Parts: sequence; C-alpha cells; structure tokens
Amino acid sequence: MNVGGSSGQDFDLNLAPIIDCFTVLITFMLASASFLAVGIIECSIAATAPATADQKPAAIRVDVQMTMQKELDLKVSGKTRIDRKIAPINGDWNTNELIGAIEALKKQWPDTRTMVLAANDDVEYLNVVRVMEAMKSHLPNILLGGL
Amino acid sequence: MSTQQKSPFKMKRPPSTEMALQITSMADIFTIILVFLLKSFATGSLNISPSSALHLPVGNGNGEAVEAMKVEISETAVEIESAPVAKLTKFRFAPSDLQPNGVPTPLDEAFNRQKQRQALIAKANSDVQLDKKILVMADQHTPYLTLKSVVSAAAVHGFTDLKLVVVKKD
Repeated sequence: MNVGGSSGQDFDLNLAPIIDCFTVLITFMLASASFLAVGIIECSIAATAPATADQKPAAIRVDVQMTMQKELDLKVSGKTRIDRKIAPINGDWNTNELIGAIEALKKQWPDTRTMVLAANDDVEYLNVVRVMEAMKSHLPNILLGGL
Repeated sequence: MSTQQKSPFKMKRPPSTEMALQITSMADIFTIILVFLLKSFATGSLNISPSSALHLPVGNGNGEAVEAMKVEISETAVEIESAPVAKLTKFRFAPSDLQPNGVPTPLDEAFNRQKQRQALIAKANSDVQLDKKILVMADQHTPYLTLKSVVSAAAVHGFTDLKLVVVKKD
C-alpha cells in the first residue's frame, strides 16, 4: 500500500557533473603524464669501486680507452699484457671486435667481470653509452675511468 | 462520414531525429580511464622529468630504476635536483670554475650541501642511510671531459653509484 502518496524513492542520478569532473581529471592527468620511457645503465667509478675483504682480485684488469678517431684502445694488465688498438669499422666503433677480444679473455680467465671504460675529452656521452651498452652483457661491472 | 479515417496509403511519420546521449556508459568509460591513469601514476617508481632542451642518449638500459639524487647536464648548466648549480658554455665549464684536480668549485659545494643534508636526515632518522646513488641525466652531446668533472665532484663526496639515464629504444 502506498501510504506516502506520490513521494516515490526512485530518482535519477545526475551524471552530467560527474562526467564534467572526470573530463577535467583525465585531461589534467594526461597533460601532466610523462610518456618518456627511460632506462637505467648502472656503472661505478674506477677509483672508488667497492671491494670487499673476501673478494679475490681478478687475474686481469681490462681497460678500454675510446679515442676521437673512433678507435678502441684495449689494454689488459695483470697475468697477461695486451695492448691492442681496435680500428673503427664503417666509420663506427668496432664493438664486435672488442666483444670478441673480451670473450677470448674470459675463456682464459673466467673471473673477468670488470672493465674500466674511459674516453678522450671530446668523445661524446652518446658514444660512451653505446660502447657501455654493447659491453654490459659481456662484462657486468663497468667502471668509468680517466677521472 | 468521418474524414479522420486512416488511409492505408498514408506515409509513416519519419522517426524522430532527437536522441538521448547514453551518459551512463560514458561515465563507465571515464571511470576506467581514470583508474588506469591513476594506477600508472602509482606504479611508476621513477619520477624523471628532463628539461625540454635535454636530449638523452638512446639505449636499452635494463638497470633497476630507483629514486636517487638527480644530476642533469645540459648545454648551458648543471642542475642538481632541478636547481642550477653551475653554468656551462657549450657543455664546458668556465676555466675559473675548475679546481686544480679538475673538480668544478660550484659542483663541489653543491654536492657537499647534498651530503650534509643527507647526513642531517640520517642523524635524525635511523632508518635513513646515506645514499651513494645518483641519477645522471646528461645530454647526448656532452663531452666526456664535462661528464668526468661532474662524476669526479660527485665521487669526492661519496656519490659513487652512478645510474645513467637513457631513453629506451622502443
């Protein structure tokens, strides 16, 4: 029985202001969002590389110097000595040859995990990053040198 | 005789062109978009906003993204935590700014301030430890000499764990 007469409890929610709020919020969030996908390359500094007391020093030390002529100057010291200049290929850094040389060293001395990478003063950061990335999968610890 | 009789040949009235907008489904869509955007904001662990003039190098960069002190090297300035600390001219420090060991004086002071600030926080809160990490956002054309100077200044004050920021290829 309808006692209260015509005062029914059915009502329509006014969605228009909610839609307005949502539109403003979405616009604000899209405007403030950064769509830049960034990655991180981890490295350390050669002079201050952390060394634990129980850590045995590696048999060899690998140094790579990048020159303005796009040469990679590989120097190995320790239980063996290598001084090798890797010439550019097609006007670009020949990282493949460097990787080959590193892999050959790793076969002989499997504890080789670190490389000190330095560059001549005018070598651009972009190139340093490129060589670093090419080597990262072969030598996990890359230290910036020449400091 | 009635003239109101329906003629079997009378054309039907065209349907009304007025239409009611289905606002309920629109509200649903907006809710989903809003939730998605809020979730993407919440899960992004790294808040990096390089300045528009900065062109970061492209790379894969599979390292762990963590919050750390941000150092930005652009063509005209070095910024630490978005505050300009040293002026550069075509990516180079002014010779008068450089100390004999190659560390730029303004950066030396700025990193020292940052270290003292961290030490103060660590002193007040035992859960906080001194952080060695820095996020380096350098322009792709930055010469190694400038990068070296910045990194040396950071290393002098114990910031030795470098995280180089690159733009992902994909």
